[in-house]
Amino acid sequence: MKLGFRDKIYVGIFSLLLIQGLVVFFWVSHVMKESILAEIKNRGITIGISLSARMVEPLLAMDFLRMKVLVDETVQLGDDIFYAFVLDRNATPLVYTFKHGFPTELKTVNSVLDHQKGSMKLLDTGEHLIYDYAVPVIINGNRLGTMRLGLFRTRAEKAVNKILISALVTILFAIFAAGVVGTLLLNPLTESIKKLYASSEQALRGNLDARTAPMLKRNCWDIMQCHQNECPAYKNYHHRCWYLAGTLCPTCVEGEYAKTIESCRQCKVHKQCSGDEIQSLAESFDAMTLSLKGNLTDLRDTEGILNEQKALLQTILDAIPDFISLQDYEGRYVSVNEAFCKILNKTKKDIVGQKNVTLFLKNRAALYDQEDREVLDTRRPLVKENKVEGAKGTKWLHVVKIPVLEASRGTMSIVCSGRDITQLKAVQEQLSHAQKMESVGRLAAGVAHEINTPLGIILGYSQLLLEELERNSQSYKDVATIVKQTKNCSRIVADLLNFSRSSESTISEFNMNEAIEEVIGMVEHTFGLNHVIVKREYHQHPLWVKGDKEKLKQVVINLLNNAFDAIQKDGVIRVTTDGRRENEIKISISDSGCGIPKENINKIFEPFYTTKGPDKGTGLGLSVTFGIIKEHKGSIKVYSPALSGKKEAGGTQFIVILPAHLNGKKGEINGENSRIG
Amino acid sequence: MVWLICYYREDNKIPGRNKVRYGWVVLLFFLLCLGCGEDEPAIKVDLSVSEQIKFEEEPSLITYAYLPQYSHTISYSRHHALIQYLRKKTGLNIKQIFPDTFDQHMEMVGQNKIDISFSNPFIYIKIAHNYGAKAFARIVEMTGKDEFRGQIICRADNVSIQTIGDCRQKRWIAVDSTSAGGYLYPLGHLLDHGITKMDFKEIVFAPGPGGKQEKVILSVYAGKYDIGTIREGALDVVSTKIDINKIRVISMTDSFPGWVYAARKNLDKKIVDQLKQALGTLDFNNKDHREILEAANFIKVIPSIDSDFDSVRQLAVKVGMSLGE
Repeated sequence: MKLGFRDKIYVGIFSLLLIQGLVVFFWVSHVMKESILAEIKNRGITIGISLSARMVEPLLAMDFLRMKVLVDETVQLGDDIFYAFVLDRNATPLVYTFKHGFPTELKTVNSVLDHQKGSMKLLDTGEHLIYDYAVPVIINGNRLGTMRLGLFRTRAEKAVNKILISALVTILFAIFAAGVVGTLLLNPLTESIKKLYASSEQALRGNLDARTAPMLKRNCWDIMQCHQNECPAYKNYHHRCWYLAGTLCPTCVEGEYAKTIESCRQCKVHKQCSGDEIQSLAESFDAMTLSLKGNLTDLRDTEGILNEQKALLQTILDAIPDFISLQDYEGRYVSVNEAFCKILNKTKKDIVGQKNVTLFLKNRAALYDQEDREVLDTRRPLVKENKVEGAKGTKWLHVVKIPVLEASRGTMSIVCSGRDITQLKAVQEQLSHAQKMESVGRLAAGVAHEINTPLGIILGYSQLLLEELERNSQSYKDVATIVKQTKNCSRIVADLLNFSRSSESTISEFNMNEAIEEVIGMVEHTFGLNHVIVKREYHQHPLWVKGDKEKLKQVVINLLNNAFDAIQKDGVIRVTTDGRRENEIKISISDSGCGIPKENINKIFEPFYTTKGPDKGTGLGLSVTFGIIKEHKGSIKVYSPALSGKKEAGGTQFIVILPAHLNGKKGEINGENSRIG
Repeated sequence: MVWLICYYREDNKIPGRNKVRYGWVVLLFFLLCLGCGEDEPAIKVDLSVSEQIKFEEEPSLITYAYLPQYSHTISYSRHHALIQYLRKKTGLNIKQIFPDTFDQHMEMVGQNKIDISFSNPFIYIKIAHNYGAKAFARIVEMTGKDEFRGQIICRADNVSIQTIGDCRQKRWIAVDSTSAGGYLYPLGHLLDHGITKMDFKEIVFAPGPGGKQEKVILSVYAGKYDIGTIREGALDVVSTKIDINKIRVISMTDSFPGWVYAARKNLDKKIVDQLKQALGTLDFNNKDHREILEAANFIKVIPSIDSDFDSVRQLAVKVGMSLGE
């Protein structure tokens, strides 16, 4: 069982007093006993000497009566004197106080020499212990006899014991009195300490409304006769005004506590209201909790603001597509944003506190560590582009590492930000390629323009020559080949010219279904030779379009040719139009061909891109198509494989969206049904 | 104590905290032990065995008594060495005895309890007259005279007494009614100056046994009595007790024969002669004798006969004193 403070004090006081009492009782009483016995012994010697001096005259005169009177009177001096007697120089008893004869053994039991002051012996009579004193009766250096005196030691001890009992009683009384006084003094002290402890416990539990200090009979407003309601000390029964800031008393000094308290100590309020150290402790504790409460409130407010700011900052950081991280001087990640987590495919929890070596592959981690060290050592930012090969392909990252001095810690940190520039890189490549193609296109157009005329002449003359030759002759065949190849060249040149320069458009309003049907009509026979069937699913109403009909027909021809080329033999080409949306018409041309590999699907609209053989395509068809549709403010999308199972599986589907002409010749075509071929 | 504490702290077997505790316990025990003293050894005595004491007089004892004009202690001091000398010189078993009063002294001479009496001349003429004592020697005072005087004294600051005539109506303390220098001689001297006993307001004698000369001086010194009468040389006896300058001698009496050695009636003459011989041999110039003589306060003992004291007898008649018992 653990003792409380008060119990400890009690035990301490009682133990101390008990030990002190025991020591005093045993030690001091021993000293006292010795001194009393010494005093008794000395008393015996003194009485003996005195009696010896008084005995000279009667002894000289051999006045037995006077000698007897003297010894009797001496014995009557006190209860502790047992006997007295006088021996002459021959040790013969002259007078004595014994009533029943002189005890023979007493004569020789104690002796004293002439030059001695006296001699003392302790005698044991069996009944009493007796101090026997022998004092020589001397006159002018001549021994007349011996004075003997007997004092009860037992009675002396009784006196000593009386004193010891008194001492014991005194000690016990002192212990009792100390206990009573201690209780009276300790009770308020321990009560105050208990109260302080309880308040401290409350404070630890978060209750800072401590009420430890006692209520005063007179408070500062009573003493100063103050009625200022605004003063924080007014009617504040639990806090002393000298601990409160912003009091309105005219004698109060503004400033720090150390300055104000010196002034307050001179104030009559402090002089009248301040108590002992415990009260001061309680009052200062209350003031401390009050101050703590204020500080905690401020702290909580600040913490709230900080958390808010932190959350805001984190939100901003997380919202930024760039990845951002903060590393300490040791290279340990302190903070990261969502983008960073996404890149590493880890959570913040997994990243914060880790180093590069645990987050990246060994070689890359070593590279990053080297970069970080360089940034920290040189204190210069590092800007670089990283090419990262991953399972999802190659990525390009633009990375900036900036050294930051943490003022609070005095150490350097690294802020690293980066962004995924893979798309930008691709666009850059496309742009570069397009620029290159544009140059090539212009060159090709120039060349085409220059060779178009000679080609026309060659074709003209070849045709003339062909008419003159016999059909079955070898020359005819050769010239026919020349004509055929020249026509190929003319078509190539025409495509080049179409691609390189916008030919003048003839804008008209027409039904797109009719235009498509015209085109299908031209190619259907040819396709049919290779068992390629064209199926039609036209919108039930005419789809009026305002634009260049021939160019748009060229678009359909190109798409149908591409579908045919993809099928080559035994397949289906499905042509569908849709005008359900008010503002646009949709044309879908899908085939059951081989489809386009995924990696090539973005390249098909690039000029000169072709998968056909060198004599079968220029790679300009889809580029021209794309340009015409753009010219008509439409769009074209390609899907490979086709979007739904309804379409030909595994093939390619082109969807062209064109703006509908709302003010077209609705009345003429209303009621027409769609045809399915 | 310190050693005990240190001892326990050095003992490694006891944990540090316990060492101190044990040290305190030992210290407390040691302090408590200080309170336990050893008992003194006691000698066993049996008080039940007792005897009745009977004092036996020594045989062929020659008793020597000095008239108790002073205390017994002074009497002893003055004559102890002389008696030792006489014992040695004569081979007699001489013992000094101490009568308490002049009367007792005289009575003991009459009862043959005092063989050799050393007394003043007035006592002598009385014991000679009453008990047949015979003078056989007398002393020579330290002044070199074989006579001595009485003195009338008062306090030095007593302005009312300047001359002997101023003693009238005063309170007078004398040594004893049988004192020579302390009463008889001054009384004769006063009569010579016309002052009788009736002229005094009060006449008292020093009380109690022995020490009477000192008592007179001390009474005057204390102011209890106006004048006192003492023998010449008595002031020197009390010089260690009081400042004798505070005492003024008003007047000195005429000289009379000094102190006398007398043998009781029927004392063996041979013994008397031996004593007379031994006393007469004392020589102040002899170193050993001088100590004896100085202690006895005389320088010489000379032979004397009864007629040497007739002048004293005449004085007694003059003052009206009876020599009877």
